[in-house]
Amino acid sequence: MPAYAFIGTWVAALLTLFLMSFLYKDNPFFRFAEALFAGVSLGYYIGITLDQTLRPNLLEPLAQNGVTPTNFHLLFAGLLGLNLYTRYIPRIAWLARLSLAVYVGYYVGINMVQKLQGEVLPQSAATMVDLTGGGNGALAAFNAVVVFVGVISVLIYFFFSLPHDGVVGRVSRLGIWFLMLGFGAAFGYTVMGRVSLLIGRFNFLVIDWIGGTMRALGGG
Amino acid sequence: MFLRLRLPLLLTLLAGLVPVVAFFFKDEARAVKAPASWLEQDMIIVAGFALLLGVVNVVQSNMKKIERRDKGWFFAVVLLGGMAVTGLVGALGAFRIGGLPGIGNYPDGRPTPFAWCANYLFTPLQATMFSLLAFYIASAAFRAFRVRNVAATILLVAAVVVMLGRIPVGEGVFGRFTEWLMQIPNGAAQRGIIIGAALGAASLSLRVILGIERSYLGLDKGE
Amino acid sequence: MAKGIAKLQTIDRRWIFLLIALGTLIPIVLPIGFPVTITPPVKSIYDLIETFGPGDVVILSYDYGPTTGAENDPMADAILRHCFSRDVKVVALALYPLGGLTSLSNSLNRVTAEFPELEYGVDYVNLGYKDGGQASMKLLADDFAKAFPGDTNGRPLAEIPLMQQIKGAREAKLAVSIATGIIGEWWANLINAQFGLPVAVGCTAVSAPKYYAYLEAKQMIGLIGGLKGASEYERMVKEGYPATREAYANPLLQTASKGMDAQTIDHLIVIAFIVIGNIAYFASRRGKGQA
Repeated sequence: MPAYAFIGTWVAALLTLFLMSFLYKDNPFFRFAEALFAGVSLGYYIGITLDQTLRPNLLEPLAQNGVTPTNFHLLFAGLLGLNLYTRYIPRIAWLARLSLAVYVGYYVGINMVQKLQGEVLPQSAATMVDLTGGGNGALAAFNAVVVFVGVISVLIYFFFSLPHDGVVGRVSRLGIWFLMLGFGAAFGYTVMGRVSLLIGRFNFLVIDWIGGTMRALGGG
Repeated sequence: MFLRLRLPLLLTLLAGLVPVVAFFFKDEARAVKAPASWLEQDMIIVAGFALLLGVVNVVQSNMKKIERRDKGWFFAVVLLGGMAVTGLVGALGAFRIGGLPGIGNYPDGRPTPFAWCANYLFTPLQATMFSLLAFYIASAAFRAFRVRNVAATILLVAAVVVMLGRIPVGEGVFGRFTEWLMQIPNGAAQRGIIIGAALGAASLSLRVILGIERSYLGLDKGE
Repeated sequence: MAKGIAKLQTIDRRWIFLLIALGTLIPIVLPIGFPVTITPPVKSIYDLIETFGPGDVVILSYDYGPTTGAENDPMADAILRHCFSRDVKVVALALYPLGGLTSLSNSLNRVTAEFPELEYGVDYVNLGYKDGGQASMKLLADDFAKAFPGDTNGRPLAEIPLMQQIKGAREAKLAVSIATGIIGEWWANLINAQFGLPVAVGCTAVSAPKYYAYLEAKQMIGLIGGLKGASEYERMVKEGYPATREAYANPLLQTASKGMDAQTIDHLIVIAFIVIGNIAYFASRRGKGQA
């Protein structure tokens, strides 16, 4: 194992154990690792943003070609981006609103189309199907009815402009039961997800750290 | 008033309308598609700058903590130190200073300083912080899951069935039922949530574009 | 007796932590080897890629970071092994800021080492990471070069042979997003919806329940959910491509299949705690009723 990997594995293992020590109780080792976690994450952002976005998409095109009719908008983008930082200068902090307006405006525009065309329409279409199963048998019909009833009852539950009494109340209750089924399934999957992450860390400690150290010391 | 309020609202309207209008035109409509494409390329760059806004915030708040020697100021030094070292080697790699080939590995497979920080500091810290949740979710399941009423019982039964149906030991008995549960009743519930949330998000987006919703601008009182 | 059982409700949670830790650690040290059953959402992705041949292009988007690497890395690696085993070209990119690039680079390094005959730029390319989220996705769907002027090392796309074969993502046969959060949804509700590109998602178990709604609405062609889904895909790749078994047999490789042993034990521990907690709850209610 090369020296950089051996040292790196030990540093990673110690930081892993420092963070896990919190399970027993809060302590200075955990807080050290926690602070390092926040700092290194921000430093990571700096590195990848400079290398993967700002250099190739902004600086290199302008440096190599100058400002041309086809890339003048990059200068505009760079100025908009830099203008965001005026929010930290109190006298001219309002200037940052101009950049924020363009940034937020664009993304809400994309989002509006995305939500309507990409979620509301296809999800609604998939609900409004042949409730007799389209000739695919009794199970298909049953499933189509369950989905239809489930989606409608959940949407009625979320319609808070109507009081949830009488028929609306009973349908809302059915909606709650569907939601509880969904949340229960989500919880089961969440347990699976979180346990998987722990398996990953223990794999690292056993195979890469302890196993790797033994292999390195044994000449492997 | 125009520069501080009306101009930002006008920019939001224009920037919001560009992708919406472009959506309704084919690729051949260059007059409409070209501005949309420019704006998309620009937003990639602005997003890069925006991602780094948090860095300034964090530096300011932690420097204050260090200057005032508040409780735990040593950890603020650790935070800023970690950020400075990783950010510096990242910046040096990004601009190929000091013979660095970038922020990845050297041609012979050795990691650059940034890649070493990413693999041996960033990755284990990120991974371990989230892996702790496994312990807390087990504890939460023990303390919170109670058969108190019909809704809680449905939630508990669904969770147990899914947990059994997704492991080899329980798949034989619960596997097919779990798959049906995920696709049909869970699918229906999630679909209802998706449709409801999407309608809400779309209407909020329209309110922002039209200037009705202005909280994102951080307006002062009286503006 | 009811009082004693009721006291279980106040057990120190560190005992629970210890049991979970042992339940995870012991199967790693002493593997059991539980069998894995294939489910339809995972099989549909495998079956689709089985119809691809030499020269077809798959987009593989690394939309996750180290926080969920334990779940997502095995999925990404299995998809790569499957594609490379069939001479399917791969355009790999990352859209997740907190570690997408690192996950992408490490995954490609791991798997391409098992296929020494592959040539970078011809059989696969690493476009790296790009900010901008949906803006990047819309641009790369039409023309990769507008979002990614070069690959991760800055080499212009015009100099990369594979990128002469495919101008934009919409020309690919399939986009697979290995995702930890919302970016996988964007591939379905933005790229599939607006450009018609078939999309498959490998997601964390936490996100999987929501993705079933997209799957059922045919906005995705398949779904790999969590470590269980990853283990299913690994099994299909091992059975379909014997050359990959050597890699999966490597004791140093962390695979999803090996992880299912610990997953099984921990699930049973959590279920046991839920049952014990409810027994203690009913015992305390009976105790209060009698008092």
